[in-house]
Amino acid sequence: MTEPVSYEAATARLEEIIKRLDSGEAGLRETLELCREGRTLVEVCAAELDAVGRGLEELRLDDLVARLEAGAGTAGG
Amino acid sequence: MAEPQATPAGIDGSTLPGPYGVGRYAAGLRDFLRERPRVQLFGEVWNLRVSRAKVYLELRDTDGALPCSMWRNDFDALRLGEGALADGAQVVIAGGLDYYAGSRTSSPSFTFAVGGLRVAGEGDLLAQLDRLRKTLDGEGLFAPQTRLARPALPRTIGVVTGEGGKARDDILAGLHRRGWQGRLVWAFAPVQDRHAAPRITAALQDLAATGAVDVIVVARGGGSLADLFCFCDETLCRTVALLGVPVIASVGHHTDRTLIDDVAALSCSTPTHAAESAVPVHCAEAQARVVAVTRRLSVHARRALLHRAQTLARLSRAPGEHLAGERRRLHQRMREIRAAGRRRVEHERGRTGRKALVLERKARAAAGDARGAARLNALAMALAAHDPERTLERGYALVTDRAGDVVTSAAAARNAGDVRLRFGDAAVDATIRDDDD
Repeated sequence: MTEPVSYEAATARLEEIIKRLDSGEAGLRETLELCREGRTLVEVCAAELDAVGRGLEELRLDDLVARLEAGAGTAGG
Repeated sequence: MAEPQATPAGIDGSTLPGPYGVGRYAAGLRDFLRERPRVQLFGEVWNLRVSRAKVYLELRDTDGALPCSMWRNDFDALRLGEGALADGAQVVIAGGLDYYAGSRTSSPSFTFAVGGLRVAGEGDLLAQLDRLRKTLDGEGLFAPQTRLARPALPRTIGVVTGEGGKARDDILAGLHRRGWQGRLVWAFAPVQDRHAAPRITAALQDLAATGAVDVIVVARGGGSLADLFCFCDETLCRTVALLGVPVIASVGHHTDRTLIDDVAALSCSTPTHAAESAVPVHCAEAQARVVAVTRRLSVHARRALLHRAQTLARLSRAPGEHLAGERRRLHQRMREIRAAGRRRVEHERGRTGRKALVLERKARAAAGDARGAARLNALAMALAAHDPERTLERGYALVTDRAGDVVTSAAAARNAGDVRLRFGDAAVDATIRDDDD
């Protein structure tokens, strides 16, 4: 199983890809591969931004612990 | 002026005297305290505050503390100099107990009225703090937190702070400014008294133990170093240093550094700043960047495909263009060959003409020569006709003297005597004899 790409790793790689594409040095095959990789990374970034853009959720530590325990119980049962 | 209140009945069953009016009692307390013996005390200064009329401080040691105040005029007269008296300083004070009785509109306060003060040295607490800082640094505990990766876009942020403090609002404001709307987990704990450090430590450990928190902010809305001393607790600082989750400290002190500032991944001056540091990315701007990057990728992909299509079209046209080019070249070559052929024919024609002319001249010259030969022949024949040899062949004889000269007359023959007669076949000698004599 591959390690999930972090937001910062995805953005850093995207910067590299755009820089490479803008340089005009990439051949046709490389350009298409970079575009394909870039779209995957854009989806990663969009998902991360979406996760922190759906509305602030405030909860106390006790609530988080209870929720995690409930989740673990459900998963375990 | 308000009417004095009528004295109410006391509490049923109470054997204590009274009830008395509180103002009278407070005044009595003031008088009582002022009668206590005036003394000298020593301890460390904490929570030093200088107002226009008075200087307030707390005198503390490990066993207890006393609120103190000093008239500003008396304080200024000490001429202590800038920074000489600060939190943690060891001082000796002289004075006595006092009590401000207050009123219906003002709060009462108890104080040790300071008449004299001498700075005795740096406080033990600050010295202890310095020693602990060096110990933690020597153990390398300032580094582990700084080595932890702090996510640019945390999904869950834990916050340890006082439940009723202003820091809470400041953190929310900071996160709002970043446009961050993830999950915020509050772990409330006292952030000031002597119970604070163990509670903060426990809150940090509990947050980290959930495994669901990406970064933790420890915040307090500010205060004196004395108020923030709980953030210098050794156990708390060791816990932070070895925690697996990055901790951003914001205990709001501008002049002195608490130890948690040294062991945390990052130290910020305000809770707002701490919240912004917990989310380094501005979410709305990041969204816009993602859209822009998507657009750029589409442009590049489209351009690449267009380029491929153009290349293929160019390649598909290439054979035709190549044939057309070859055809053009062949036509050109043929034109050149024809032109060259014409030039050659013209040239050969010229040469042939010139040769013909020469031949004609030569022929003409040759014809002239033939006529000359015929004439010469005729002349030769004429000459032969006059040749004496031919005459001799016909029977004539040529007479010559001994000298070989031709004798052409009888007289000459007489004179010569001996002559040679040359006939056609041979010559014979003869002697002239004249019988008539």
